[in-house]
Amino acid sequence: MKFMIEHLSKHFEEKEVLKDITFTFEEGKIYGLLGRNGAGKTTLFNCLNRDIKADSGSVSLEENGTVREVAAEDIGYVLSTPTVPEFLTGREFLKFFLDINAASIHSTKSPDEYFAMMSIAPEDRDKLLKDYSHGMKNKMQMLINIIAQPKILLLDEPLTSLDVVVAEEMKQLLRSLKDGRITIFSTHILDLALDLCDKIVLLSHGELEVVEKSNLDSQEFKEKIIAALKEETYA
Amino acid sequence: MLKTLRISFSLKNTYRVNAILYSLKQIPLLRCLLPASLYQVRGLKIFANLLSVLWELISIFLFKFIYLLTMVCGMGLLYQNALPRLSFLHILLFLTLIGSYMNTSLFNPTRDKYYAMILLRMNARSYTLVNYGYALFKTVVGFLPFTILLGLSRGVPLWLCLLLPFCIAGAKVSVAAYSLRDYEKNGYVRNENKLQKFAWLLAGVLLALAYLPPAAGFVLPFAASAALFLLWIPMGLVSFYRVAAFRYYREINQELLSQMLVQMDTVKKAAKTASEKAISADASITSRKSGFEYLNELFIKRHRKILWRSSIRIANVCGFLCCGALLVMALMPEIKADINEMVMTWLPYFTFIMYMINRGTGFTRALFMNCDHSLLTHSFYKQPRFVLRLFRIRLGEIMKINAVPALVIGVGLSLILYVSGGTDNPLNYGVLLVSILAMSTFFSIHYLTVYYLLQPYTAGTEMKSGTYRVVMILTYLVCYVLMNVRLPILVFGAACIAFCVLYSVIACILVYKFAPQTFRLRM
Repeated sequence: MKFMIEHLSKHFEEKEVLKDITFTFEEGKIYGLLGRNGAGKTTLFNCLNRDIKADSGSVSLEENGTVREVAAEDIGYVLSTPTVPEFLTGREFLKFFLDINAASIHSTKSPDEYFAMMSIAPEDRDKLLKDYSHGMKNKMQMLINIIAQPKILLLDEPLTSLDVVVAEEMKQLLRSLKDGRITIFSTHILDLALDLCDKIVLLSHGELEVVEKSNLDSQEFKEKIIAALKEETYA
Repeated sequence: MLKTLRISFSLKNTYRVNAILYSLKQIPLLRCLLPASLYQVRGLKIFANLLSVLWELISIFLFKFIYLLTMVCGMGLLYQNALPRLSFLHILLFLTLIGSYMNTSLFNPTRDKYYAMILLRMNARSYTLVNYGYALFKTVVGFLPFTILLGLSRGVPLWLCLLLPFCIAGAKVSVAAYSLRDYEKNGYVRNENKLQKFAWLLAGVLLALAYLPPAAGFVLPFAASAALFLLWIPMGLVSFYRVAAFRYYREINQELLSQMLVQMDTVKKAAKTASEKAISADASITSRKSGFEYLNELFIKRHRKILWRSSIRIANVCGFLCCGALLVMALMPEIKADINEMVMTWLPYFTFIMYMINRGTGFTRALFMNCDHSLLTHSFYKQPRFVLRLFRIRLGEIMKINAVPALVIGVGLSLILYVSGGTDNPLNYGVLLVSILAMSTFFSIHYLTVYYLLQPYTAGTEMKSGTYRVVMILTYLVCYVLMNVRLPILVFGAACIAFCVLYSVIACILVYKFAPQTFRLRM
């Protein structure tokens, strides 16, 4: 499976944020998306998730030699600030989600097994989501995005505001999930990207480019990435 | 000294100008015309600067003029049994006392103070003193023309008119000095926007003293009023020395403004918390349905307070009013003819009433804040078939909620029509009931359709659509205009029903065609 972006561009007023991006992501890999502040990472995600309309370009999936347009259900998008329906309990949200996606979810786990998988404590499962802590909301959001088994998982700074234990759990989870899908992970924390991701992709000057690790050691690789990011000039 | 004044002026002016430019950019049509580099354009800046200067002048003169004209002179005109000049001085004296601690400028946490002293770390003492001096200057200059103009017209001698502004300023300085002393002694920082109960109580007493005795013909004699005013001048002078010598302005302002920072955050959060409060915490609420029906049922049950309960309350009030009208007709049969004529021709008026009691905006708001705002970030929720399915379910629900008061009003009106003498065409009863129900249906569909087609909110629950605002204002205007239209039931009712049916059909077609694209979060 391949996820292909072709000639994607987007501008806000006079500022060109994405410039004719063409890029192919491959199955089974976690991509670390790095970029300076304001480089357009969130804009790119929003375009891919069709929350905003791109000016031009297409995104498609290639599976077993056939190419098709990406559908909404192919993409899971985890935002940095977790958003969950406040008026439902964790269990109700999960039930609702399982109900309406019954046709596409093949897993046979029970809700409690799912909660256990995310280490959400039994006493929290029947609380209203509005009373969940930030970390728990984040887990809930991640859970929903994982169950649906989207082919493409977009994660926008998902671990930054989590405590170390939850962050470590999430990292493990993402690693275990990477087979059979494409994970794109945006972050500002270079060490996290190097630790978790198989490939580092830079978004600079409105374009995507891979930083090849070749045979550099990790310190050299870091320096190479930072040097590449530094090139970004502000016209 | 002058440098501080200049810096604080230019700072205040800069953010005022930018605020003006920002709000220009929010106007739907202007937005397209204005360039992105808006804040650099010289012409616009000059224009905004002019507005900013105008605002400063208004704040110096206009408000004080309105205050004196209405609160002091205007109220004074009501009192016939006291001499005009005496009631003028009496009222002004007590209001000045209230103003001396409620409007100090020294203890008002404002944004420009925060920027200057906290963010830009300007010297707190010189900044505060310079600005306080300017505030006192504004008080004197702003009041002077109007104490002369209005004071003389009420018969106050000129020498006192000339001195009054200084007395007012003196009272303010004296109270400020006392508050600063209070800080030195007890460490308590006053915040004029967060007064304690005692201060409110005192304000109530002073207000009563200002307005009640003159009504009974009792006012302070001239000598007493004048003396109590003039007293503030020497006291103000002594106090000014104390204010100038005070050393802890940074401490005071830091405490005052740190509260403000919290306030700025809370304003943002307030809307969110308010909507979350509407969610019932009742643990016994469950649903046996599944999928979207499950979601909807839980939503409705957990938001009973703002949806069903208020709708039922409105229905009760309407029922009560209808019964009242029936009772009045039973007691005073002579007014029956008038009421009959009214009911026969006042149907358009009910468009406005239906507009007022409709729960549509509250429903869509709660839908967004507590449900869609989060679920719209999930891609499954945005699948066209799901969007439309949920639209159908929600439409049914909001129509049911709005139909309850509509039914009560419709039946009530028909009853009133019957009791008040009836009509020769029995069709009128039917049309009356159906057209009221049609109006209620119209508003339900209208709000939900507009919500689905324009989805005006961002993920941060901020309203961002100018078009949405325009549509809301237009809806109001149309209803308001209809309030003044008088048409026979049959004519208006038939037109109304036809319009509602047509609108519903068009709205549903539009939603089915466009909502899957338009129903998403604004960026």
